[in-house]
Amino acid sequence: MTFVLRMVGRELRASWRRLAFFFVCVAVGVSAIVALRSVIQQVGVAMAGETRALLAADVQIESEQPWSEAALAIVDGILGAEPELSRTLSIETPTMARPADESKVVARVVELRGVQAAFPFYGSFVLEDGRAYDHGLLAGGGALVRPELLTQLDVAVGDDILIGDRGFEIRGVVLREPGGGIGAFSFGPRVLIDYDDLLETGLLTLGTRAERQILVRVPEPRVDPLVASLREPLRDEFVRVRSYRNTEDRIARNLSRAEDYLSLIGFVVVVLGGIGVWSVTRVFVQQRVRSVAVLKCLGATSRQVLAVYVAQVAILGLGGALLGVALAAGGLASLPSSLTAQAAAVAGVEDLSYGVTGSAVVQGLGVGVLVSLLFALGPLLEMRSIKPLALIRWNLITVAARDWVQWTVVGALAAGLVALASWQAASWEAGLWVCGGFAAVAAVLHAVGRTLVRLVQPLGAGARFAVRHAVLNMGRPGNQTRVILLAVGLGSFFVIGIHAVQANLLGAFALEIREDSPDMFLIDVQQDQQAGVRELIEERTGDAPSLIPVLRARVTGVDGRRTQLDSARAVRRRGAGREFTVTYRDRLEANERVVEGAFWGPAGPARPEVSVEESIRDRLDLAMGDVLRFRVLGRDIRATVSSVRAVDWDDSRSGGFMFLFSPGVFDRAPHSFISFLRGPPETTARARLQRDLVAGFPNVSVIDGLEVIATVRRILDYVTLAITMVGGIAIVSGVLILVGSVAMTKYQRRYETAIFQTLGATRRSLVTMLVVEYGTLGVLAGAVGSIGALGLTWGLSRHLLDIEWNAAPLVNLGGMLLTALVVGSVGVAASLDVLRRKPLGTLRAE
Amino acid sequence: MIELRNVSKTVLSGNAPLTIVQPLDLTVSSGQYVSIVGPSGSGKSTLLGLIAGLDAPTTGEIVIDGVEISGLEEDALARLRGRKIGIVFQFFHLVPSLTAFENVLVPLEIAGAPHASDRAAALLSEVGLDDRAGHYPAQLSGGEQQRIAIARALANEPPILLADEPTGNLDSANGRHIVELLHRVNRSRGTTIVLVTHDSELASGTDVTLRMRDGRTERLAPAPLREVLA
Repeated sequence: MTFVLRMVGRELRASWRRLAFFFVCVAVGVSAIVALRSVIQQVGVAMAGETRALLAADVQIESEQPWSEAALAIVDGILGAEPELSRTLSIETPTMARPADESKVVARVVELRGVQAAFPFYGSFVLEDGRAYDHGLLAGGGALVRPELLTQLDVAVGDDILIGDRGFEIRGVVLREPGGGIGAFSFGPRVLIDYDDLLETGLLTLGTRAERQILVRVPEPRVDPLVASLREPLRDEFVRVRSYRNTEDRIARNLSRAEDYLSLIGFVVVVLGGIGVWSVTRVFVQQRVRSVAVLKCLGATSRQVLAVYVAQVAILGLGGALLGVALAAGGLASLPSSLTAQAAAVAGVEDLSYGVTGSAVVQGLGVGVLVSLLFALGPLLEMRSIKPLALIRWNLITVAARDWVQWTVVGALAAGLVALASWQAASWEAGLWVCGGFAAVAAVLHAVGRTLVRLVQPLGAGARFAVRHAVLNMGRPGNQTRVILLAVGLGSFFVIGIHAVQANLLGAFALEIREDSPDMFLIDVQQDQQAGVRELIEERTGDAPSLIPVLRARVTGVDGRRTQLDSARAVRRRGAGREFTVTYRDRLEANERVVEGAFWGPAGPARPEVSVEESIRDRLDLAMGDVLRFRVLGRDIRATVSSVRAVDWDDSRSGGFMFLFSPGVFDRAPHSFISFLRGPPETTARARLQRDLVAGFPNVSVIDGLEVIATVRRILDYVTLAITMVGGIAIVSGVLILVGSVAMTKYQRRYETAIFQTLGATRRSLVTMLVVEYGTLGVLAGAVGSIGALGLTWGLSRHLLDIEWNAAPLVNLGGMLLTALVVGSVGVAASLDVLRRKPLGTLRAE
Repeated sequence: MIELRNVSKTVLSGNAPLTIVQPLDLTVSSGQYVSIVGPSGSGKSTLLGLIAGLDAPTTGEIVIDGVEISGLEEDALARLRGRKIGIVFQFFHLVPSLTAFENVLVPLEIAGAPHASDRAAALLSEVGLDDRAGHYPAQLSGGEQQRIAIARALANEPPILLADEPTGNLDSANGRHIVELLHRVNRSRGTTIVLVTHDSELASGTDVTLRMRDGRTERLAPAPLREVLA
């Protein structure tokens, strides 16, 4: 034992510099894991303290419909029985806002919220000018708005804006608001007004999307019982009840999921580092053959020798992991405060402290050490087959047969990686998928790399000395070609792949815009506004828009041959419980075709019929003749399923509907209209149309498709940036592996170079050799990534995103050249000092 | 002490079998100083490797101090070497990452010997290199390296010392030092020494000299007798 420990110390003393890069391989991935986990954990901690503020109440009761008498009776009954209770009302609705100044031709979708004086029960507003919030700011026609709205509408504090039929004075800019939730999808910037004012805007017409909330404050022990007693009777009234604690649970769940999945990114980087560790260890073992043989000659057993090197790897792995922790801590500490403030605002919390957390450190260290050991064990086991006879016979080649020990190690490596990935993702399934996916991608890239190396081999027969040797070097014993191709190739695969996918997605969007597809959407047009809206649009665009009647309906029962569901609750359990937007007409649109049953004729059927979309038929297992029960505007309607439609969702000119009713069913029922139209192409004309529509019909919302596309493009840019960063880390790992392998094989390279120099090779031809070798390696690595990326984009475009595939040749070519440049320069730069040595010194030392 | 019975070694050269050591019997008794001479490629080093348990014979048995070693596993052989056999190589084979002192210390540590440091220091002093203890092999001359290698080989006081061309890589002055050192070891410690060399002068001072040619051995007269004959 003493021997093993002492030898570990001596070996480390001698070779830590050579293995320094081993640290870095491990450190990069570990720092990613530690940093990601730490940040998310701290966000979690910060938010856990503020979940009441996220809801602004203890309990929230929420309905998308105007409160029904039945629902209000239930709520009043239960809340009335609580001795200590405060409540307040709130409404949230997406709508349009425009400046009162007629000269400013602009109108924007905003998220309007009306609140009463008691709001908020918890949390506090942060206003831009530092004033304290007071309901007086809203009362009597005041509004607080998000800063971005000021720029969008070109208005300032003190100006008036129009919402619906009313004017509001902007009295402040709100930076943070309680009850705003987090990360929720929003149509536009927040505008906060008084509850009673909102009711007077005339916005809440029929069919308006609005969430009506009753916010409740009760003593802490009453929170859960109150939620439980409200939830049950309100379920059939389509009223949602939740407490701040549900929000807390949901946030905790989402955060821990985010933490686990993001750490998988770190894990993939650690595995890349592991490949680096494997490659370093392999070369290291080759360089240690003589020392190991000597130790065996002196009486050391294989087990003792193995123990020395395994312990060394564990220590180096731990060192690397510690370095990773330090990098993560340093990185987090140096985050610019503007960024942390922004992140805090997104998370809806006051302040975020960024440092590494204990559990993240433990995870990072664990993964670092385990991955180092798992990957190093294979090459280290080869030490068992080093024979002390090698000291007498240099030409003795020990071919390590793959014995059961090595197979066991391979098995342990696979199982270990799956276990580690599963640990990181906190799910066996995810662990298996990640490892399987990684192995599949690595295998494909590896095969591509091998084929490419074989393809360039004929160049080795070329006449020029430098080119010939450069190519031959790539296939020499102990070469690092495969490892570098795999690691760098994987990195460039990620980066090129994601950029190509982005190019494809943007191309697909651009195509949709280029065609005559609609780029403007009108919602909430009322029956008496039809003629006016149609006239205005026709005047501005030259085309009469088609106004599609819509109602909102829920399925509350199915009376069918195969399916019998007798309540809304049962339907919900089958996954069809949401509120659907439905329409009626006497014909099929261009983007629809009947795949089962028969569509009613122009006259319409005598009894109400409904045509369902394919996925609904499958979900509810419907047959022709089944009867569906709907709740529409508080009334129950029964309709017979007479046909099933396939809808081409890409063609949005006529919209797409899950349920299409026969004419006559809703003729007399009040309903609103929506329209898909193609707006004027120039910006000012578009803005004017939007503005005039809203001015003439204040309750109508106009959504500009071009803005939606711009938003999608922005989101896509963020996603691309994030994945590019991950790919970038992978490339960094690849480059590190390259530097490491150059450093590890430097001794052999030095010797060869000295011999070449002795034989008359000039420095110029030696440099050419290096440039050709690493340049070719870089081109091949880029080609591996590029070919992989082509496969990835093809698969994603055709099978997942369902868009036209385009090879994105510029992205691929650019990526390939960049990879070649990076690998070429790094490889040559790392090798240059070999040329600086005098040949005699090198030859003497050998 | 060392007994070889019908020991031979055949390897595959390409696809054809090549016998490097023809079947031979040899007995070296305790305290004897035996040299094996012969031209390069005659099988000397292979024979030495077989005695050291570094390689397994194709036929025959090798008995070291009463233990038949040809059937032993790699680790058992390593332990046996640690206790009973010291080896000195032509190319010294010091561990480059260890200092001179540590190189001598290692076999003591492997064997778990008590007072290892004191013993290593004493050995360094015995080979006259106590002032070089902290130097790495690369900082030592060839002769110094070989003296360290001999000190290392003697660390566990093995009854047998095997030396493979120990002066083959040294100039004549340094070579002489090593020859004297080996003689001293043989005389003062009673260590059995088997020395492989192609230098007949070096072999001349040994008790018995074997000549190898094409894998066959031939016993020459013991040295003192030859001196008389000359």
